[in-house]
Amino acid sequence: MAPTYNIAMVSDFFFPQPGGVESHIYQLSTKLRDRGHKVIIITHAYKGRTGVRYLTNGLKVYHVPFFVLYRSASFPTVFSFFPIFRNIVLRERIDIVHGHASLSSLCHEAILHARTMGLRTVYTDHSLFGFADAASIFANKILKFSLSDVDHVICVSHTCKENTVLRASLDPLMVSVIPNAVVAENFKPLDYAAEVSAGSFRGHPPPARPLGPHDMITIVVISRLFYNKGTDLLTAAIPRILENHPQTRFIIAGDGPKAIDLEQMIEQNVLQDRVEMLGPIRHEEVRDVMVRGHIYLHPSLTEAFGTVIVEAASCGLYVVCTQVGGIPEVLPSHMTVFAKPEEDDLVAATGKAIAALRGNKVRTELFHEQVKSMYSWTNVAMRTERVYNGISGAISEAEFYGYDAANVAGSWSATRGRSGVQSFALIDRLKRYYGCGIWAGKLFCLCVIVDYLIFLALELLFPRDKIDICPDWPRKERKVDGEGCRVKAGRQQGDNERRAMDSLDGHWDP
Amino acid sequence: MLTTAPHLYIRRPSPTTAEFTVTTCPPLTVPLRLLLLTLHLARILLFSAAVLALYARFLEPSQHSHQHHHHHNNNPIISLFLAGNIPQFLTTLLQTAHRSQPGTLLAQLTAPLPDWAVALASLGVAYATVCFRLHRTESVLVLRGLGIQTCTISGKWGWGTQTRFIPTEQIRDVLINEAFRGFEVRYYLIVVVEGEEDVVVLFPGLLPRRRIVEAVWRGVRGCLFEGDGGGGEGDGKG
Repeated sequence: MAPTYNIAMVSDFFFPQPGGVESHIYQLSTKLRDRGHKVIIITHAYKGRTGVRYLTNGLKVYHVPFFVLYRSASFPTVFSFFPIFRNIVLRERIDIVHGHASLSSLCHEAILHARTMGLRTVYTDHSLFGFADAASIFANKILKFSLSDVDHVICVSHTCKENTVLRASLDPLMVSVIPNAVVAENFKPLDYAAEVSAGSFRGHPPPARPLGPHDMITIVVISRLFYNKGTDLLTAAIPRILENHPQTRFIIAGDGPKAIDLEQMIEQNVLQDRVEMLGPIRHEEVRDVMVRGHIYLHPSLTEAFGTVIVEAASCGLYVVCTQVGGIPEVLPSHMTVFAKPEEDDLVAATGKAIAALRGNKVRTELFHEQVKSMYSWTNVAMRTERVYNGISGAISEAEFYGYDAANVAGSWSATRGRSGVQSFALIDRLKRYYGCGIWAGKLFCLCVIVDYLIFLALELLFPRDKIDICPDWPRKERKVDGEGCRVKAGRQQGDNERRAMDSLDGHWDP
Repeated sequence: MLTTAPHLYIRRPSPTTAEFTVTTCPPLTVPLRLLLLTLHLARILLFSAAVLALYARFLEPSQHSHQHHHHHNNNPIISLFLAGNIPQFLTTLLQTAHRSQPGTLLAQLTAPLPDWAVALASLGVAYATVCFRLHRTESVLVLRGLGIQTCTISGKWGWGTQTRFIPTEQIRDVLINEAFRGFEVRYYLIVVVEGEEDVVVLFPGLLPRRRIVEAVWRGVRGCLFEGDGGGGEGDGKG
């Protein structure tokens, strides 16, 4: 029986705010719970969303009223989260702290404090950053500070891994790549459900839907209209594509500062009847917009993973995208046409895609099944679980990092203990931070020492035995082998825990 | 030693009534009683000293009239009290105390201090000794068919008490919730009251720990809604 963990996901980004990181955390947590782990989520308070909440599947979310602490202005932000974080960690008996997103200060703080408290930490990076401008340099320094003493890092694509390794000067061996996934059931092509569930194909692939020579081809673009999403490229390319291909039209969904440029372009070229602007749409509506089209155009200039193109392929759309960031890793070549991030190439690539569709050379109706088999959150959870096993020593160093790496242990594992996991000793931690830079290294060491002193003070002021332990939500039973797991909730053996659970559940046994 | 962490007493005068008291008072043993007695004596002493200091500084008549009074005042203090002449009795009592050895000592001690310091210190000590509560106690009385009466600590320094009655018809549910409070997350009991925006927190001053909160929760529901099978109408999640 593999060990189960109590995991705290920490990020500034979580529901009710919509977004990719948010749904990643939610899906991963849900699947980890299905595998028998206990998962809680710590995020900051949103408007009207403060305190401790349970989502409908029993996932517990702490919306920390963070900005209340900010008010005591002299208190440096780096440490203000520590007391409440320690309280949550102790009452939930957390073993592993998993932070998400590099722009989340809550996540970096949590990783620092968790290491001070002697917990294992994992960090997931969802984005790519530059190296050149001042903001990036500062962000990278913060990342370096935070990741000096992390146990393991997960990136969503190999490009993202390369980027993170360079930005934070990490050992590539301690960075794993675990891609995002999509819930394929939510992104079915049009008519898919009716046909397949009726069993009309009996396991055979659905028939091709040939396009006639004069059928309208619809190109869908769903993206926030920002500079980095390549909206300028789109604005330049649309008139040329529509000019070259008479039987085509565009549907554009999303909002942002560049929307005004698109509207100007439409008016200048009088394309009102061929370009439809839908404005901002909710995530649930994405599928309904996607199935109206044949081609998905993704002109982004930088992208760590690009979940949206997986969603588009899952909906049975042929994908035209720029070859940037992690995008080339995401989909197999028969689903995509790549373009360089420039106007001429994008127009040419779109032309190629239209020609391929007109020639009926692409079986887009098969995409859904293929995507479904490639991307699943259950698989993501399994791989994340392996990372947890690796850092907590449940699987050997050799198995986790590879046999070659273990053999040359002396050379690269200077910062690691003999057990293959990072040592918690303060002096070892300080050594790791000291290497961050001439001045930064000393500053970071100071921060770590202060953090440790705060930790000691907290142990005195709020002793551990004064903190109530939370009863666990009934854990799901876990299948020993295979991917799936029983959904039926396991019955707790401990009478205490059962009773405590009842109290949370609002049931009362006379 | 004099106080403990909040703990629970349950009193059940009848099958349909239950009183849950959370108090910081430890069980009363003989040594503890003696200790408390000395503490009360000390309080009385402190209070008298404060009043005497005030009297000596601000109300004491001049030396001359003081002598005059002394001659005049031969009848014993008790007889004044028995005669019901309370103001006269108090004045005489204070005079006697002031002239006594501890009284003179106190006057000598406070002599170098300015007027305002004496006034502030004495008034403060007097107020503190009168209002001081060593043990803090909060209770919930549950009467089936009638409702819940809560008795809670109130006031600025928790020196007063406040009672509130919630009739059964207005009680929608009793449940346990978690919330951030200061630097920690606490469990607490709440009553959801019909027609009120805010819930009523039980034991708001002491906020006992989870074990007690759960025991009271069970007890209150058992006493209040017994017979409805411990209904699942509350989801307890808040």
